[in-house]
This record gives sequence, structure tokens and C-alpha cells, in this order.
Amino acid sequence: MSRSALITGLGFITSIGNDATSVSASLRAGRHGMVVHPLWDNPNVAVKVAAPVRGFFVDSASWRDWTWPERYELPRETLRSLAPHGVYAFCALEQALADAGLTKADLTDGSTGLFCASAGSAFMQYHHLSQAHAGNFERGNPMGVVSAIAGTLNFNLAAHYGITGAVTGFVSACASSSHAIGYALDEIRLGRQERMIIVGAEELNADTILPFAPMRALSVNPDPATASRPFDSARDGFVGTGGAVVLIIEEASLARRRNATAYAEILGWGQASDGHSVASSHPEGAGLRNAMQRALRDAAVAPAQIDYVNAHATSTPVGDRAEALALRAVFSDAGARPAVSSTKGLTGHGLSMAGAMEAGFCALALREGWMPGNPHLVNPDNSCDGLNLPRETLSVAPALVLNNSSGFGGSNVCHVLRRV
Amino acid sequence: MASDNTPSAPAKPKPVKSGPLDKFSAAVRDAHARFLATGDIDALDTVVLAIVRDHQPAEARAATPAAPPDSALLIGDLGFDSLALAEIVFFIEDLYQVSVSNEELMRITTVGELRGFIRIKVASSGASSQPPSS
Repeated sequence: MSRSALITGLGFITSIGNDATSVSASLRAGRHGMVVHPLWDNPNVAVKVAAPVRGFFVDSASWRDWTWPERYELPRETLRSLAPHGVYAFCALEQALADAGLTKADLTDGSTGLFCASAGSAFMQYHHLSQAHAGNFERGNPMGVVSAIAGTLNFNLAAHYGITGAVTGFVSACASSSHAIGYALDEIRLGRQERMIIVGAEELNADTILPFAPMRALSVNPDPATASRPFDSARDGFVGTGGAVVLIIEEASLARRRNATAYAEILGWGQASDGHSVASSHPEGAGLRNAMQRALRDAAVAPAQIDYVNAHATSTPVGDRAEALALRAVFSDAGARPAVSSTKGLTGHGLSMAGAMEAGFCALALREGWMPGNPHLVNPDNSCDGLNLPRETLSVAPALVLNNSSGFGGSNVCHVLRRV
Repeated sequence: MASDNTPSAPAKPKPVKSGPLDKFSAAVRDAHARFLATGDIDALDTVVLAIVRDHQPAEARAATPAAPPDSALLIGDLGFDSLALAEIVFFIEDLYQVSVSNEELMRITTVGELRGFIRIKVASSGASSQPPSS
């Protein structure tokens, strides 16, 4: 491919920090974002730990009650049609634009596209539907649909920023924002767009997180320090988190013309489905193995060249085991031993946001020269035999990294990123 | 019984209660209370104009007077689009428990028409404990 894509801007609103500097510091220090956090006013709910975003109040269904850090100017006409996670997304996007040295005016000529990923807002949907039912659907908030359904991010952000290029959303659950990154890379490679903005965001509230409890997917460990421990033999489920992460990627010649400082190059991507279960991973991670191999092939990189893998591992018994087996098939069987870690041990699992969040972490690691560890890992599961799972952050600069994501229905997406 | 499987009563979300006018000025909240208690139509006008201004896009808001003339076009002069108008109407419907049909909504084009329409609608709904005072 003659056209390549560089990451030139990042924005983070996460449980471990609300800007790149604090996120990087948390990752390097192994500092997690979990607290005992009642998601529902009911002591009988077994789930006790979550990883909230700090500095925002978006727990009300009325935008008039919401607060966010003062430095972001969020106009009321934009605010009124947002979901709570849209507020996070707006702030992360403002941050990423400033980081890339861009303004709103740079986004309107049709050469910039916007791909977003979130599950929508079950919280807002519930509120608006209750209100509309009570009013026999004669009375209801006109913004009820656009603030709640999946797609709320792309509707709102495209309108606010006047983006006239390719705009859409991706819905593959926990692989959603990874799909957004992959297809954004294709938009640039195919010459359709010069710049793509990728947004992943989710809410942390009962309506988003607790429906995973009856699936037995959430940790009921009440200790914030150990509830999320990917690859550990004592793991018992994931810890929910919310927030937003934005990546701005630009065609390399445009980035150079603008003298933009790049974090990393997105070298290639691959996807494959398990074709196996609606919600459970393939027991041997077959789809994820194929997705990794396709991403490596697309990037023309051999397994032995990968220095670090940011694993999807969410701390669920079934998912982490499947990923460990897939990693062994791709790397151990090829005689390769990259460092592997799941940063969800620190952040919690951001669902649709996870892929973009972790691609952002990989970009920081590539530019700053370190690799995140697995600080909550004590006794690795026996499925991890032969994998290199460092506990502490490694002060070693990676040249090539692989970022894994998996979602419901067995969707698996992987990206290869390269130091620039 | 279904409830046999439920160890406790269904829980409610953490309450975050706020009245619809909580974030408006004290003068607007007072006017609202005065209308409800006395049927003072001027007080109702104060509330309606505050709601219009509250929903106005920032740029248009900066360029128009705080009390726009009755002849001001909602779409056009004041910067609203049809969805924002629907939001204003929903806010008023919710506040005074009235219903506005699409047909009625289509006939409202100016500030004066909105004020007049709301007066008739709200006064006839019994939202105030007193008959209209003017």
C-alpha cells in the first residue's frame, strides 16, 4: 500500500485519567481506576466494584444536571441531544483535536470522516421510553431517539463539528471501536478520506453494566485491587468502566505537510469471526487466532517481530483462556514470545470503547518507549503456559505491537501498530 | 407467583431528582409559582419567554434581545429549527401537563403566536388553581 495512516491525536476520558499524561502515568505505575461503586441503590446486587470516570456528573437523565470539567466548552444546543457518554466523547474529541493541532474548521471540507462506537444509552432509552409511554407517545422528548440509540455519537458529533466525509457507527459489542479503527484505516488506504476520527465511548451505570450480571460475566469480588485480574487463575469476571477515547488518524503525507507529531503508524488490521456462539468465545479462540494471523499478514509482519500484545482479556474465565490459547497458537507455535498484558486489569472493561482505548494505550507506549504489565496477576492460569506475562511495566521501547479485541457473536479484530 | 423468585423488591435507580425549572433563575421560578397560584397570565408569559430563550442556540441568542418582539420568527429570526421548537413545546407540555398536536405546532411561527397559544392552552387546562387573571 502506498498510503499509510499515522495516529496524530489522542483524547482520553477514562477511569485511569482524563488526559494522555495522566493515563500514561497510571499505566506506567500500574495504578488502577476501580472503587467500590454502587451501580444500583440495592445492597442485594452482588457486583460491588466498578471503574468510574472522575470529574463528571452525568448520572441524571436531564442534561441540565450534568457537569464536566470547565475547560471544555459544550454548547447547550449540542448537549441537549447527547447521552451521558456523549459528554465524555465530546471532551475526548476536543482533547484529541488540540493534541493533533486541529480545529473544528479543519474537519468540514469532506476529507475528514468520523467512525464511532458505543452501545447507545440504555439508561436514556429507558428514561425516554418510560416518559413517552406515560404520555401515550403524544408527549415525549423529541431528542429521545437521537440521544439514546446506538449511533448517538456519530449523529451528534458529525452535526456539531460539521463533518461532511464518511460518518457511521459500528456495533460489534466489545470489538466495535476496533472495527471502527480497521475500517478507518481502509478509508485512508483506499484514498476515500485523508483524515479519520475514531471515537469509542460507553457509560458506567446500572443499565449499561448490570445486564451482564445474569450472564455471569461480571466479577463479584468486592476488592477493587483484585476484582479485575486478567489471566489469573482466580479471575471471576470483568469490572465495568465507562468513558471515551478518541484517535485521530491521518494519511502520512498530510500529517507530514502539517508537521504533526505522530504517535504511531497503524500498519494493518485483520478480523475473523468464531462462527460458534452468540456470547461465548470459541473454546480455543479460533476466530481470534485467525484475526491475529490476518492482521499480521496485512501488516507483512512475522509473529517474532511483535514486541508487545495488548490482549483483549477481560478477566472472565472463558474469554481469557480462549485468548491465551489463541496467543499460544500464533506466537508460541512460531517460537515467538512477545510481552502480553491486558490493561483491563487497571481500567476495567470499556465494552465498545475497549478497542480504541487500548489502541490509544499502544500508541502512548510506542511513542514513549514502554510496555504495560499485568500488575494484578498473581497465579497465571495454566492455559497461559509459555506466554510472557510481565507483572511490572517494562521500560523497553516496542517497535511493533498487536492490539486484540473480541466481541459478542465471536467477532475478533486485531491491529498492528508500528513505532514512527 | 413471579415474586417468589425475587429476594427483594425491585430496586429503583439512585434518585437524582430535579424539578424542570431548577436551573432557571429565581425570578422565573417565582413567576411559575405565581401563575400556578393566581392564574397571572403575565407570570406565565415570563416563564414561556425564559423557556424559549433557554432553548435558543448560543450564536442566535447572543444576537437577539432578551425579550424578542412578538413578531420575531422562531425559525428564522431566533435561530430555531423544527426539532428545537418541538423541544420547547415538550418542555411546556411536561411542565403544565398539556398536549399540543402536530397541527397546532405547525401553526406557531412567531413569538407572539407561541405566547398566545400557550395562554389559551394552559389556561384552559386547569394548570392554575385560579382562573386567568388577565
